[in-house]
Amino acid sequence: MADLKRYRYLFEQMVRRELRQKYQGSALGVAWYIVNPLVLMGAYYLMFGVIFQVADHEDYPLFLMVGLVVWIFFSQALLSAAPSLLDQGALIRKAPFPRETIPAAVVTVQAVTFLVVLGLVAVATLGIRGTIDPALLLLPVLLIALYGFVLGLALIVSVLHAHFRDVAPILSAALLPWFFLSPIFFAPQDITDRAAARFVMEWVNPIAPFIESIRRVLYDGQAPSLTAVAYVLVAAALALLAGRVLFARMQAELAVIV
Amino acid sequence: MRQPALKPGEVVLDRASRGFSVRADRGGTLKELLLRRRSDGPAPIQALDDVTLHISPGQTVGIVGRNGAGKSSTLRVLAGIVPLDSGHVHTGGQLVSLLELGAGFGRDFSGRENILLGGALHGLDRAQIEAKLDDIIAFSELGDFIDVPVKTYSSGMYVRLGFAIAAHLDADVLLIDEVLAVGDEAFQRKCEARIATQVQGGATLVLVSHDAALVERTCERVVVLDAGRVVFDGPSVEGMEYYHRQMDTPTAQSIAAGEQR
Repeated sequence: MADLKRYRYLFEQMVRRELRQKYQGSALGVAWYIVNPLVLMGAYYLMFGVIFQVADHEDYPLFLMVGLVVWIFFSQALLSAAPSLLDQGALIRKAPFPRETIPAAVVTVQAVTFLVVLGLVAVATLGIRGTIDPALLLLPVLLIALYGFVLGLALIVSVLHAHFRDVAPILSAALLPWFFLSPIFFAPQDITDRAAARFVMEWVNPIAPFIESIRRVLYDGQAPSLTAVAYVLVAAALALLAGRVLFARMQAELAVIV
Repeated sequence: MRQPALKPGEVVLDRASRGFSVRADRGGTLKELLLRRRSDGPAPIQALDDVTLHISPGQTVGIVGRNGAGKSSTLRVLAGIVPLDSGHVHTGGQLVSLLELGAGFGRDFSGRENILLGGALHGLDRAQIEAKLDDIIAFSELGDFIDVPVKTYSSGMYVRLGFAIAAHLDADVLLIDEVLAVGDEAFQRKCEARIATQVQGGATLVLVSHDAALVERTCERVVVLDAGRVVFDGPSVEGMEYYHRQMDTPTAQSIAAGEQR
């Protein structure tokens, strides 16, 4: 931990590098980080809100956007964290700084983007639906838990991918069906009345409680169930713990293999 | 935990061994993991084989040897970048390494931004680096190029920036691997002078080079490595004589080891 404090400025540098490097030289620059998810959300709205109309919810675009923006953060953060250690191999071979800073910086950049887009969606949702409620106070807790959950998973996929180059392709293949099985453009009760199936959809899929509880606060203007809040906190703690343990065990050889 | 209290600048390698498996594809694949075996390849190379070294603060040590003798691996182990298979490595104080030319330079970033990153990589904070910024820029002689992306730099400019950063991070232990040769003669002399100043200030230097004259000028002690073992450790004049004799009498084993690098 002392190490992390000492290298705080390195982390800051990495976040700035990551932010600037990706879209360096493009006309929109950093704005691409915002434009991309907005375009994606437009496309999904066209598909599920206008063409297919799978679910019947008031202000469906808002219902969709809240879930989608959470999913985009989750998937983009993991997809960009997976190859991050390989991408920064030159730095890893140069000095023995804490390697966690690399995936953590990638996730943080995605989190900053996520907050901006979520902010836009939240203002629209609260404004249109008038769902301003004390439950909003829970939102920061949910977002911090989401960040911790994603960070933990990012540590896992990044160090695994550095050792086994199949991990990123497996991840991107898994994310597509995972998206359709997650309650993003529907709520579980839209799909099925069977208790077992709903249980699987709501609780077995670890990202579902994050999506549903954030949507509950923003879109419904109600507090999520205590179970859901406990679930996201425990999921975040477990992911972080697993991520740190696995990363610590697998990071020693990074300079040799990347 | 087991780290003995070392003085700043002290370097200890204790029965250090490190092997590398040599394979075309360095990353593993899931198939190998699932089948619980690695694909075939040449036998692992022992880059460090039971190496024990003790370097006192302020000493200047040159590491020489054939290609593949384990010189660069020794530096990478000292730098804390590559872990040992067995044995221990300890270094005291702030450690700064200049191992690969230009490594870690974000090509789209300016020289100035790379100075900030270079300092941060060694654990400095913003204020500490900014205090040294002007000295580093002056030393690098990059002038207006300091605010230009480093992808436009020549290799000489690269090494000047890299050395300028490494030489201003207040190292107690300075590790340098065969990168100075890229700069022109004037800059090389300037680097040597800068190193001498740091050594006078108590810093320890460990230098890997094939430049015999450079080693003799800058180092008081020479370690000759062969196939991962220390075959000579002593004053640099005798060490370089040993090294030159060794170069004249190649052995089949060391040739094979050299070619595998």
